[in-house]
Amino acid sequence: MRWSLKWLGLGAVIAACVGYLVVSATGSSAEYYQTVGEMRGHGGSSDVRVLGTVQNDVVRSDGGLHVRFTAAQDGQTMPVDYRGTVPDIFRPGIQVVVDGHMGSDGVFHARTLEAKCPSKFSSAQSQGTPTG
Amino acid sequence: MLLAELGGAFLLASLALVALSAVAGVAAGRGDDVRLAAVGRRAFYAGGVGLAAASATLLVALLSRDFTIAYVFEHSDRSLSAPLTAAAFYGGQEGSLLYWALLLAAIGSVSLAAGAAASVRLTAYANAVLAGIIAFFLVVMVFVASPFALLPVTPADGLGLNPLLRDGGMLIHPPFLLAGYSAFAVPFAFAVAALLAGRQDAAWVAQTRRYALVAWGLQSVGLTLGMWWAYHVLGWGGYWGWDPVENAALMPWLATTAYIHSAQVQERRGTLRAWNYGLVIAAFLLSILGTFLVRSGILPSVHSFAVSPLGPWFFGFLVAAMVVSGAALARRSGQLRSPEPAEAAVSREGAFLLQNVLLVALTAAVLWGTLLPLLSGMTGRELVVGAPYYERAGAPIMLALLALLAIGPMLPWRRVQGGWLKLLRWQLGSAALALAGLLAGGVRQPGALVALPLVAAGLITCLVEYGRGAAFARRLAGPWPIAAARVLARNRRRYGAYLAHAGILVVAAGLIGSHVWQQSRQVTLRPGESVTVGSHTLTYQGMSAQNAGDHGELVARLRLGDETLEPARLTYPSLGGQALTRVAIRSTPLDDVYVVLAGADGSTVALTVFVNPLVTWIWVGGALLVAGVLLGNLVRAEPELERAPTPLGVAAAVR
Repeated sequence: MRWSLKWLGLGAVIAACVGYLVVSATGSSAEYYQTVGEMRGHGGSSDVRVLGTVQNDVVRSDGGLHVRFTAAQDGQTMPVDYRGTVPDIFRPGIQVVVDGHMGSDGVFHARTLEAKCPSKFSSAQSQGTPTG
Repeated sequence: MLLAELGGAFLLASLALVALSAVAGVAAGRGDDVRLAAVGRRAFYAGGVGLAAASATLLVALLSRDFTIAYVFEHSDRSLSAPLTAAAFYGGQEGSLLYWALLLAAIGSVSLAAGAAASVRLTAYANAVLAGIIAFFLVVMVFVASPFALLPVTPADGLGLNPLLRDGGMLIHPPFLLAGYSAFAVPFAFAVAALLAGRQDAAWVAQTRRYALVAWGLQSVGLTLGMWWAYHVLGWGGYWGWDPVENAALMPWLATTAYIHSAQVQERRGTLRAWNYGLVIAAFLLSILGTFLVRSGILPSVHSFAVSPLGPWFFGFLVAAMVVSGAALARRSGQLRSPEPAEAAVSREGAFLLQNVLLVALTAAVLWGTLLPLLSGMTGRELVVGAPYYERAGAPIMLALLALLAIGPMLPWRRVQGGWLKLLRWQLGSAALALAGLLAGGVRQPGALVALPLVAAGLITCLVEYGRGAAFARRLAGPWPIAAARVLARNRRRYGAYLAHAGILVVAAGLIGSHVWQQSRQVTLRPGESVTVGSHTLTYQGMSAQNAGDHGELVARLRLGDETLEPARLTYPSLGGQALTRVAIRSTPLDDVYVVLAGADGSTVALTVFVNPLVTWIWVGGALLVAGVLLGNLVRAEPELERAPTPLGVAAAVR
């Protein structure tokens, strides 16, 4: 017994709709993910996500809601400026992922700052994102 | 020392037994040999006993603080309470493998014991598949990641547990997710067995329906508790971040949701055969894929997982499972041709079919977003997507699913007699009423204006179904409450399902409310100053600092109406000064006031204040959903009343 064209047609229409949704959503929200080293090579003003290690020059102000620090990776460094809640485990030496853009002042302005969890976090299939 | 050797010996013995069980299972299946099949099953049970003994050994080692064992050293210390120490059993990588194998052995044994009477060949092959899966875990535990590996030098104390994980939610949500994964291996095993045995009926569907529901229920509990933990402990004001780790848990759940619905179509109408095999296999493979992604560290995630040698092993297992199940499916594809899925698109079958296609599409969209960094990394620069992608791609699909929750259960099987507008009059009325109410209340967000009326219509559908049952009970003899209880008890499967539907709808209301109307402010306050977020005004009164054993506490006092909120910040000097936020939450059915102490400067505090509307309903809905699964699933026999009319002569298959 063959399935009639009606069902195949319906399936094709739904698949096309979903395909369009996925492609358009990807196009409008995908960002490059790179380390500080790679970032220096590419530049550009669009939003990117950058991975780096927090250096020893963290300056907190505004009661802790504003931080400036240098992120480094692969021998390259990048100053970062972030306003918002800082993750609990944020401190020099940990890896962070910042999402934002490189300003004309040469400072990376982060919209979000996420801390990579310490390796012991791997214990347990943890749920949830410890983001700022 | 002794414990480590004992545990290792138990694992080796289990491996030998399940290997024997797998071989005996295949041989019994090929030869239809009852005696060999019994040998295979007994070896499987014995392997399970070995795993239980190994687990008991690991627990004893943890509780007796045997730091000669690396696993004990890495996941506990002397100051850790006994329950948390016991939880370290499944808290780490090696232990979670043991826990997974143990649960699989337990639930697999139950399914084999129950199935043996029904069909020798089918159960023998299922035995072989289950034993093969457990053997994989045991090989990994014996040769790659042993929970009983010894340290060269015995340290005085262990490394302890990260304070973020010292929480009740953390204690119970991973074991539920892992239990869900392992329970879903049972339908997978019976599906592959049916393919190997060349059975064309739906016996495997009927035999494993309950396990699929158990797996789905466990996964639902795991996901809900995970969100609860993220919300109450992590202090970022949300509960879901679309991180690969979360997606890895969500995808098998979505596929299982599709399967527990499409299975009904096969049971009733004998159609969608190949589709159901595909779904069950996909759900299992997704759970293995999730484990692989999580353990291998190949995806950019804020969870950095200990780089372990397990990645390639799980990848190999994933490929092997894909090849075996894919080949079995391909070999039988000629015999699996199904009749038309439905006579008319507007019918119960049609609704199930659409729901399935939408759920698979949603799973595919999540999979695409999760794997994008990997795929784009292969061809050039690595791309990532965040929450906006999942919201844009997922929201329309979720809205369509909400609409189906309202419409689908109202449609009769086969085709609609008379007008379907009349059939949906209550739903349309309630949706219109909800829309009018929202507009009158000043709501203008399009998302809420579409989604919340759909939720209202869906809830009406559940009420209509319960109402019909109540009306039917009224016509029965005897006092009404007793009659109603009898109707409920006789149709547990149906009423359980509608309760679960209501739970999902309530969760949806919570998700929509907190998503559309969340408000947040970041402020710095001096004592006596106030901040207003939404309709709530918080007044900062003062701060106190105290020392509590291994950590220091900074507690801010805030006045909200006649209540006091005390968000705190804990600092652990022993962990390099790691800070931990203790969120203060004031929950009401309407909204949560969620306060995070971000920092302090003298007596000035920096706060992040969220107002999260309707969040409470996420937890309430999760509880309803689980209640529905329990109600519908704790059924011994399928009652007479529920047996479907069997138009295509599949009565034998349903049984």
